[in-house]
Amino acid sequence: MEDHDIDEDEFEFSRNYFLAKESGKSGKKSARKLSEIDLVDEQDLRAEVSKIEPKHEKEIASLIDSYKSLYNEWAFELQYGFGLLLYGFGSKKTLIEDFASTALTEYSVIVVNGYLQSINLKQVATAMAEVLWEQLKLQPRSASGGSIKSQQPFNSRSMDDLIAFLDGPHAPENESFVCLVIHNIDGPGLRDSESQHLLARIAACSHVRVVASIDHVNAPLLWDKKMVHVQFNWCWHHVPTFAPYKIEGVFHPLILAHGSASQSVKTATIVLQSLTPNAQSVFKVLAQHQLAHPDDEGMPIDVLFTSCRERFLVSSLVTLNSHLTEFKDHELVKLRRHSDGQDCLYIPLSKDALEKLVQEINQ
Amino acid sequence: MATADEVHISDNDLKPFFVLHKASNSQQHARKPVGRTSRKVKVNLSSSLAASDESQLLDDQLHKNSRMKNFHDAWVKIESTIKDVLHNINADVFNEINGWVQKSFGAICSSGKLDTNKATCSYPIVTDVTSNQIFTAFVVMSNIEFVDDLQTFADLGVHLQSHGCHMANLSSVDFSAKSGIGGCLRSLLRQILNGSTDAADISILASWYMEHDNYKNPVVVIIEDMDRCSASVLSDFILMLSEWVIKIPVILILGVATTLEAPKNILSSKAVQHLSPSKFFLGHPTDRLDAIIEAVLVKPCSGFLVGHKVAAFIRNCFLRQDGTLTSFVRAVKMAIVQHFLMEPLSFTVKGLLDEEVAEADAWPRQALDLPSCMRRLSEPKSEALLSGASQMKEVLNLWSSVVLCLHEVGKNQRTTLLDLYDEALDPKLYNLRNSDHLEVKPDPQRPSWNYDMHGQSFERQKGGLISRTIRQIRDLPPAALHQLLEKWDKQTEGVDMIHEKVKELRLQEDDNLKEPPTRSRKQTIRNNGNSDKLSEKAAALITCMTREHMQPIECIPFHEIVCFRNADKLQAALVGDPRKRIQLDLLECNKFLKCSCCCTKSHNVPISSMHDTSLMYTLAQEHGNLINLHDWYQSFKAVISQTTVKDKHKSKVSPSPKKRKITAQPQIITEASAQARFCRAVTELQITGLLRMPSKRRQDYVQRVAFGL
Repeated sequence: MEDHDIDEDEFEFSRNYFLAKESGKSGKKSARKLSEIDLVDEQDLRAEVSKIEPKHEKEIASLIDSYKSLYNEWAFELQYGFGLLLYGFGSKKTLIEDFASTALTEYSVIVVNGYLQSINLKQVATAMAEVLWEQLKLQPRSASGGSIKSQQPFNSRSMDDLIAFLDGPHAPENESFVCLVIHNIDGPGLRDSESQHLLARIAACSHVRVVASIDHVNAPLLWDKKMVHVQFNWCWHHVPTFAPYKIEGVFHPLILAHGSASQSVKTATIVLQSLTPNAQSVFKVLAQHQLAHPDDEGMPIDVLFTSCRERFLVSSLVTLNSHLTEFKDHELVKLRRHSDGQDCLYIPLSKDALEKLVQEINQ
Repeated sequence: MATADEVHISDNDLKPFFVLHKASNSQQHARKPVGRTSRKVKVNLSSSLAASDESQLLDDQLHKNSRMKNFHDAWVKIESTIKDVLHNINADVFNEINGWVQKSFGAICSSGKLDTNKATCSYPIVTDVTSNQIFTAFVVMSNIEFVDDLQTFADLGVHLQSHGCHMANLSSVDFSAKSGIGGCLRSLLRQILNGSTDAADISILASWYMEHDNYKNPVVVIIEDMDRCSASVLSDFILMLSEWVIKIPVILILGVATTLEAPKNILSSKAVQHLSPSKFFLGHPTDRLDAIIEAVLVKPCSGFLVGHKVAAFIRNCFLRQDGTLTSFVRAVKMAIVQHFLMEPLSFTVKGLLDEEVAEADAWPRQALDLPSCMRRLSEPKSEALLSGASQMKEVLNLWSSVVLCLHEVGKNQRTTLLDLYDEALDPKLYNLRNSDHLEVKPDPQRPSWNYDMHGQSFERQKGGLISRTIRQIRDLPPAALHQLLEKWDKQTEGVDMIHEKVKELRLQEDDNLKEPPTRSRKQTIRNNGNSDKLSEKAAALITCMTREHMQPIECIPFHEIVCFRNADKLQAALVGDPRKRIQLDLLECNKFLKCSCCCTKSHNVPISSMHDTSLMYTLAQEHGNLINLHDWYQSFKAVISQTTVKDKHKSKVSPSPKKRKITAQPQIITEASAQARFCRAVTELQITGLLRMPSKRRQDYVQRVAFGL
């Protein structure tokens, strides 16, 4: 059995090696285009995405339910200074929030949605400090501390002050914690090292406990040893839920709607149609040149000028340039340095997209 | 919870952050009907034990509480032990540094007398060029990983502060290029002036220094990890301090993780000129680790121990991956948390801790069901329970003194306690040792566990560490042997069984020494012969000790109660492996979902009922570095629109909601819905980081990121 497994492993390894090294130019590579699929309009696609029927609903629910038995364990680990890091495939948003509202009622819980594009951690820290301040105020004994009397509004304080407050000494009798729940601590809004360092400093505070989730396979690369061992002090839990990433995925463009040929043809047509007929014709000249010379790097400006003047489209270089500026502003045309040093123009569209576009404006 | 995937996007989901709920103090008390709960213990562990009886339920609750209390006590004990050990190790270096600080301060004071007149004039007065030197200590850490030394520097700060210095502990975070010189100055002022200012102006520090009695003591600035500071900011900082050094006698302590050359390479030459350096060296991490292992794990300070597999795991982590004390301590803490969470009988650990074992501290009856004492049928059960704790304590003491004696021998050859400890815990080796000498005693502790394959070969090849160490005794010169015996004498104090024998051996040695000093060749030879004989005897003694008394914890009955053995669980909690696990989630989703519909003979066959993303990732396995979107989509669509006969007749057996739907309206998967499902699956794979999106140049391809697990 063992030997068999090892053989299999080795086979897998070599297979993966060759898959990874597969060169882009090998004959076998399929050259099919996305445009060959009859793509649905983006709006319809979005509507359709929201209507997708869930699979395995029952199984997923019972899987998530099965993690409930771990809540006590998690709460225990949290209490003794570990940070919880949940990972595994599937959205863990509901799971964590359910955990926080059932098992962490004695903590104040602040949720950070790391999947959003931008998050102001200063505001988060301010909110944490405010919550903690309220919590400490309710405790008669600890309120006697001098530091608590001299409060200025938290939102005018510096980050260092806020962290110092969160890291304040514990009253021996009463521990007050603020639990920071971070969905997708590896999300786009928190992925930079500055945010991570700040989060780590907050996590290391004596009044703070952190529960976080990661989804990216390389998320651990965000942290150095100090952060992992000392500040976050992660306790890992593998909790795949297979729940759809509904909210987490909202901000990702749909692959079949974005950047595909038909889409760019559509936008390009709209732009071109709003331009003067002369400008359209200039564009057509450039497009025809590009279609006729698919291997060229582009069309030199003087060549374009000559052929446009021959067709009485422009009379001077100034007029041509004004057209070109218009094109460049809408990213219809780009400039690139030719290998012989000459600037030349090209249209950043694939051949078939360009053909389609020419057809559209000819109609 | 049941509606997990029917969440709609709510307001809160789109806020960067929100308050889920606030701490409910009133609820906290209302929710605690059992008044006996210690305040520390808020958690109950209902999952592990199922009880129907009410009284038993109450019992369980009590046990749970005492488990938590035991955990707390044990951890507090371990924590303070570690702290003490580190304190002792660092004491010498700290005192040395403190002496140097005081001396340097004296030197500064004598060169330029401070008085208020000078201090209040607007420009610092520089009398001569050599005077604006900053006394600087380069504290070399012997570990490139500076994590361990963060605590050391914090302790150093406390130590110097207790000697009157004005302390500031800065780190590379304060010396970032982004916040510039203002950043480090600000944190310096915050720390020295106790946060009363937010301005970055060194003159504030100067005027503060003149106030009250502040000027009687030096200002010491520790920068923990100099190597990681922004070079220009640090240079500027040093230049600035050097200008003010007469007004504010600052003494710098820089932690250097790389080499002593580093400061010269990092700092500008101008800044280097102003430093007047001294060097100090911190202890080696292995030495510190040995000291901690000795105090925490070899001498059972807390009533908590780890089994061989766990020890081997921790050792491997230290030697091969991490090499930091911090992660070691973290592993121990994690192990102890897991132990008290998992072991229902751990509520009785207390018995092992107390000096006197009272009758009430006998192991509970349930302990008889533990696999380790199933085999001990010879003794009456009640007796076994009653004496269990004290017997275990005895055996543990014997074990630890033998291990420490061995370590004393190995010290000369730089054998680390880490390795010895690991081997001494191995129940297999113990049984092997004893099987050669069956006459020792009828062995009641046959191993009741199995070893898995990995780690075994590793054990074998280094299996001889203990015997190698013993062999070293034979080569010891008389003087070293004498020292060794002295140390053994000390180590075995209180363990009568061994101590007697060591004493005997020492008496013999003394007899040998009483003979007149060597004068003739003949006598030398004879003396050597004597000491040879003595070392033989010492070797024989330790061999006998290892054979008879070095009984690993896992060979002792009831060890489950105090000993944590689940290395896999520990590993999973300490080092998550998202790269592998997330891929496995996708490739073997059936394992987790346990649905009846996707159960096929081989797990890698894509079927239409599979989770979409999982299906897509399985399909992606067939592609190379680049996945052609068109092909991928087509194969995805082909799979999901399979209405196979298999599906139909399967659905009779397992009417999952999805299935019924399929049979009801046979396979109308519109192009739009297929595309939508494809898009969502790609998005989910993108979130997991397993795919890279198409670039402008390769619009029709996505890139695979992970190959193999």
